[in-house]
Amino acid sequence: MSHPIQLMRTQPFPIQLLDLTLLQLTNVRWAWRGTLLLGVLAPLIFMGLAAGLAQSNTATLGYVLTGNVVLSLLFSTLGNVSNNFSYMRESGTLDYLATLPVQRVALIIATAIAFLLLSLPSTLISLVAGKLLLGLDLVVSPLVLMVLPLIGLTLAGLGALIGVISRSSQEAGSVSLVMQMVLVVFGPVFVPDQSLSPLIRTVSLLSPATYAASALRQTLLGVPDRIPLWVDVLALIALTLALLWLAGQRLDWRGK
Amino acid sequence: MRVYDIHNLVKRYPNAPRAANDGISLQVEQGEFFGLLGDNGAGKSTLVRQMANLLRPTSGTITLYGQGLDSTPMYTPSRIGYMPQTGFALNNLTVAEAIYLTAHLRGLSRPDARAERERLIDLWQLGPVRHQVATQLSGGQRRLLLLATTLAATPPVVILDEPTNDLDPLRRTWVWDNVRALNRQKGTTIILVTHNVVEAEKVIDRVGILRDGRLVAQGRPSALKAAWSLRLRVDVVFAPGHVPALPVGARPSEVAPERWQFTIARSEALVYTRLLTEEAAVEDFRLSTATLEDLYLSLIDVPPDSTDAHPTLSHPIA
Repeated sequence: MSHPIQLMRTQPFPIQLLDLTLLQLTNVRWAWRGTLLLGVLAPLIFMGLAAGLAQSNTATLGYVLTGNVVLSLLFSTLGNVSNNFSYMRESGTLDYLATLPVQRVALIIATAIAFLLLSLPSTLISLVAGKLLLGLDLVVSPLVLMVLPLIGLTLAGLGALIGVISRSSQEAGSVSLVMQMVLVVFGPVFVPDQSLSPLIRTVSLLSPATYAASALRQTLLGVPDRIPLWVDVLALIALTLALLWLAGQRLDWRGK
Repeated sequence: MRVYDIHNLVKRYPNAPRAANDGISLQVEQGEFFGLLGDNGAGKSTLVRQMANLLRPTSGTITLYGQGLDSTPMYTPSRIGYMPQTGFALNNLTVAEAIYLTAHLRGLSRPDARAERERLIDLWQLGPVRHQVATQLSGGQRRLLLLATTLAATPPVVILDEPTNDLDPLRRTWVWDNVRALNRQKGTTIILVTHNVVEAEKVIDRVGILRDGRLVAQGRPSALKAAWSLRLRVDVVFAPGHVPALPVGARPSEVAPERWQFTIARSEALVYTRLLTEEAAVEDFRLSTATLEDLYLSLIDVPPDSTDAHPTLSHPIA
C-alpha cells in the first residue's frame, strides 16, 4: 500500500526563537544557581577591593559600580554562552537541533537571550548591592531598559563566537576567561579613561566593554561621558550584529 | 518512489589512513525498512550522518526525494528524524519536555504537540518517568526517550543508529515490533544501522553490508542468502574437557563453552556428518542453512576457505 508523504512543517521564526529559548533555559537549569552565585559574588568581591582603592571619590566609585555591572554581565553571558556552545557541540545537542527544522540564527539568538535572562537577577543584585555598599545615588534613565539587554546580547554574541571556534569546552573556558580579563582591564571599565595610556584608550574603542560601561554610566548615574550614549548604543548594535553573524558563519551546522 | 539515491559517495577525514566511505552507491525506496550492517569502523555512522545532512561528503552525491539535501535550508530537517548512536542531546529536559518541544519544533500546533507527547509516552512506556530529566534515566530508558523524540511528529524518513543498544532482549523485541508497525502502518521509510544481525533480519526488507568503508553487498536478505546458500552452518557441542577437533579452514568460532560454529560447503555435508559422527568428543551437532548473520560474518571477515578437497577435523587449539 502506498502512503502519501507527510512533510513536517517549519514553525515561524518567532516560534522557533521562543521554543529554543525555553529549551535552552530548561536544558541549563542545573546552572541557574551557579550562574546567579558567580554573577553576584565575583563582582561583589571585586567591588569590595575596588571601593577600598577608590577612597570615596564619587566619580571613581561610579566607575566601580558600573564596572561591576559589566563584570557581572561578562561572567553570566560571555562565559556561559561560550561554554554552552562548546558543550552543545561535544554532547551532540548541536547535531540534534540541526536535524530539526530550525534556523541556526534562531538557535544563536535564543541562546543569547536565555543567558541574558539568567544574567538579569545577578546584574540587578550587583547593582543594588553596589549602591548600598558604595553609597552612590543612582539616576536611572528609562533607557537602561534598552541598554542592559543590548549589552547582554553583545557579550553573549562574543561568547557564542568563542564557543563555536573553540576546539573543546576547556579551550572555550580558558579563552573566555582571558577575554573577560582583557575586556575589563584594557578599557575604561573600572578606571576613568584619563587614567589609561593613550594606546590603551585607542585600543579600548574596539572593546564592547568600553561602550557597555560608558552607556551604563550615562543611564545609571546620569553623568556625561567621553563617548555619547547614542554612539555607545550604535556601537553595541553593530558589534552584536557582527558577532552573531560571525558566530553563525562559524557554527558547525548541518555539515557546514 | 525513491527516497535516497546515493551515488559514488566518498568521505575522507583529515589524516585518516583510509576513506571512511569509499565509493558507496545505494538506493532506498519509499516505505522500505533498510538495514545497514557492518563491523566497528566500517563507516555506517559516517554514512548515515551524511544522509542526515550532518556531515559533508568529500565527493559523490546524495539526493533525498530527488533533490539535494541542501536544496533549501529546511529540506532535509522537514523530512527526516535521526537517532544518533550515543548520547541524548537534551539531557536536562524531562521526558515530557523533550518530546513536546521536539514535536512542536517539527511543526505541530501546541495542542497537537501535547497529544503527540502523550501518544509517544504511552507507546514507549515512559509514563512512570515522564517528569524525570534524561540524566536520571537508565541507559535503556534514555534510548526509549531518544526513540520517542526521533519519531515525534512522524517524520516520513527515520534513520536509527543502533537503536536497541542498552536494551534488554525483551525490550529489543518490543522496540522492533513498534518500529516495524510504524513502517507498515504509516509507510515510514526506516534506515537502520545495527550490529544485531539476528534481530535485524526479522524486520528489514533490504540490507547493505559495509566493510572497510565499502558496500560489499546489498539486496533482500533472502536473495543474498540464496546466493550464498551453497554453504551450511554447523553447530557442534563437545564433551566438557575435550579438546575440540574442528576444520581449520572453516574458521570455527567458539560461541559458548564447548559450543563451536563454522560454515561448510553443501557438497561437504556428508563428509562432515561422517567425521562428526565418528568423533568421540562430539556430544551433539546440527547442520542448518546459513542465516543472514553467517553471510554477514563471511563478508566482514576473510571468507572461509571451503575448497579443501579432503575435509578433515583437526585440533586448532590443541
